[in-house]
Amino acid sequence: MSSRRARSRQSTSSSRITDEQINDLVSKLQAVLPEARLHGCLSMQVSAAKVLQETCNYIRSLHREVDDLSERLSELLATTEASSAQAAIIRSLLK
Amino acid sequence: MTISNGDGDSAAKDGRRERKRKRRAEPSLVKWKTEGEQKTYSSKLIEALRRVRRSSATGAASAATDHSRSRAVREAADRALAAAARGRTRWSRAILCGRTLKRRVLPRAGRPKPVGPARAAERSKPPALKTKARVLGRLVPGCRKLPLPSLLEEVSDYIAALEMQVRAMSVIAEALSAVGGAPSPAQTEGPI
Repeated sequence: MSSRRARSRQSTSSSRITDEQINDLVSKLQAVLPEARLHGCLSMQVSAAKVLQETCNYIRSLHREVDDLSERLSELLATTEASSAQAAIIRSLLK
Repeated sequence: MTISNGDGDSAAKDGRRERKRKRRAEPSLVKWKTEGEQKTYSSKLIEALRRVRRSSATGAASAATDHSRSRAVREAADRALAAAARGRTRWSRAILCGRTLKRRVLPRAGRPKPVGPARAAERSKPPALKTKARVLGRLVPGCRKLPLPSLLEEVSDYIAALEMQVRAMSVIAEALSAVGGAPSPAQTEGPI
């Protein structure tokens, strides 16, 4: 498709990205991390490698949380009865 | 007269180009924080959970181990999350295509890299960043061979989506565990 070709052409031109662009994107990513929210906007000179490392750790911890929650949910699903589960779910949705 | 027409044409073209650029703009992260999005995801997830529960109940109850059930729940949650992304991001499309297709080489990845000045410019990224970016690309589904700017965009969207997933799942878990403690009033209500 022409759109795919256009996108691939864009990737060859963007392979020459500047360090400035990288730092810009990394700072944007840093704003999403929870640690950045704790430190406030003071830490401007955090290295890109550290931000990437923090991002990896944060994603891994989120994965772990999701795994724990799905374990808990599977246990709850097995033990609760269908009717009470339906009522609870509808109640939680309406909140 | 022709000059003004030319200006009008170029202005129109610029407008069209700008509109095209806006359409290809990155997906906004704000939508993952809205309550409406979370409620939509919760209802999708509940449907999937009901299906998981039904399939594990009809089969031999002893055969469905806790691990396989939680694995099924996790996959259902991820698939619902990817569906909520409406296919605008790479990680969501990768999840929906099925995790078994991870090893398939995309035709775009097999393109030969240009020699010369381009390679020298690519070396401007220090190798430490390169390895970390590769690790990050492995964590996010479908983003292994992505260049750094697109990878970072996918990552920020993926993180926002995961946060919403955690919030929605904890709400549902709280609701179910609260019911487990008080079964009698729920039973008198009857199935709705």
